[in-house]
Amino acid sequence: MRRTEPRPQIPLSDGDVDREAGVARLFDLHYPSMLRLAALLGADDPENVVAEAYYQIYRKWRKVRDPGSAEAYLRSTICNLTRMRIRHLQVVRRNTEALLPESVASPEDSVLLHDDQRALIGILRELPARQREALVLRYWQGLKETEIANAMGISPGSVKTHAARGMAALTQRMEARR
Amino acid sequence: MNTVPDDMERRLRETLDTVASGVHPARDAYRTARGDWLRRERKRRVVLALLVAIVFTVAVLIGLWVLNQAPTGTGAIFTESPSSQGAAGHGSP
Repeated sequence: MRRTEPRPQIPLSDGDVDREAGVARLFDLHYPSMLRLAALLGADDPENVVAEAYYQIYRKWRKVRDPGSAEAYLRSTICNLTRMRIRHLQVVRRNTEALLPESVASPEDSVLLHDDQRALIGILRELPARQREALVLRYWQGLKETEIANAMGISPGSVKTHAARGMAALTQRMEARR
Repeated sequence: MNTVPDDMERRLRETLDTVASGVHPARDAYRTARGDWLRRERKRRVVLALLVAIVFTVAVLIGLWVLNQAPTGTGAIFTESPSSQGAAGHGSP
């Protein structure tokens, strides 16, 4: 099934056509879930983060052929890019705190959340990046510890530690809030 | 030791699901992203070709300069002129 899209301006070789089709298929399959993952991890511009992750896979297409490994690669790239983006924003905010507006519209602004849920998301955003990643990958994506470890580039034991600490911090702060 | 109540896990799952349900991809996301990939790929190839051309040109220029620095006199191996070589040949027994 061919997609209706503008004719490319540069001639494509067979390898390029194969790559285009493969990446288009990946985009159809995983783009919405990857966008949601980037948003839940706290990216301020999830579209750009996910587009960058797809560009990385577009460039390295010859090395990543298996759809299963492509999904894991995308997930891992999104985790890394989001962490880097948040770190960059923290540095910028620290240096120009007075000049920046408070925040841009986040995904939770567009859905109706209870007070508790809003507080929970607020606390989740304040957790260290690794703990937040472990919690989102475990409780939203429902991944196993080894899959989370692959996505985060750490050992399964560290995943367990990050998830447990994150969950303990969430529980403690939610109870302190009452 | 697991001190996290199951209720907390359930609430976290529900909250994450609710927030995720509010994130919708744009309709033309693929077209926009693909345009960006192609533009960046083209730029990457042009930069790569330029780099190769620059390296090649510099290597050729260095080669020409080295050749130009070679002494213009007769080489170190052939120290004798052909006439003296012939005379030496005739004179030998």
